[in-house]
Amino acid sequence: MPIRTIVRLTPAKPKAGENFKLQVVAQHPNEPGTRRDAEGKIIPAKYINQVEIYFEGEKVAEAKPGPSTSANPLYGFMFKAEKAGTFTVKLKDTDGDTGEGTVKLELA
Amino acid sequence: MNRRAFLRTTGVALGAVALAGLPVRAQGLEGEDLANLEKALQAALGKGFKDLTPSNLIKLTMPAIAESGANVPAEVEVDLPSSQVKAIHLFADKNPTPHLVVIMPMKALPYYATRVRLAETSAIRAVVETADGKFLLASASTRVTVGGCG
Repeated sequence: MPIRTIVRLTPAKPKAGENFKLQVVAQHPNEPGTRRDAEGKIIPAKYINQVEIYFEGEKVAEAKPGPSTSANPLYGFMFKAEKAGTFTVKLKDTDGDTGEGTVKLELA
Repeated sequence: MNRRAFLRTTGVALGAVALAGLPVRAQGLEGEDLANLEKALQAALGKGFKDLTPSNLIKLTMPAIAESGANVPAEVEVDLPSSQVKAIHLFADKNPTPHLVVIMPMKALPYYATRVRLAETSAIRAVVETADGKFLLASASTRVTVGGCG
């Protein structure tokens, strides 16, 4: 099942040379594998363990989150605005499910 | 030993204990668990806590109190050029898996924001691996009312 991925930039239209944040929000339970359900059975671990950011096809940042990331996680990165282009975010979880989101960077 | 001599010696001994104990307590963070952290540091970095250099270049922002450990915002910012930062690690001393995340900034600025689960009140560490092989450390502590790991 694909992971629902939302990407946004703050500010939405940065000026050239200005720093901006790229925030990724995913819809995912991110089970750490240590929690128990109502019957006391351990809920198996299932969490996003790879976050890759591409700009115009080139990998520009990568994070490897562990099991201790909260449900519906947020990943925030910061970049310097240089030229317009498209960011692609690729997510992957421990079960091999993937998610992808894109956002266009336009300069003000 | 008479009463006076006894009081004098025990008094001196107690004073020494108090003096030795105080600075440690003043430095210690709430929820610190170096034994648990040490294992995670060795596994992730191949380094121990003693190899890390406390640094003012790292700004780690954590809330002082979190009502729920399931969703604690964490933000780390490094005052170094991107080219000098190889990786940023986050650790929580008391978590079953202390290694929270590793970030390779590459072309991004050395900054990361996320939300983490904390099992209980814990010390949080940001460890920055620099291009010249140094390990810089910043610590913070968050008091958790309800844990997030089960």
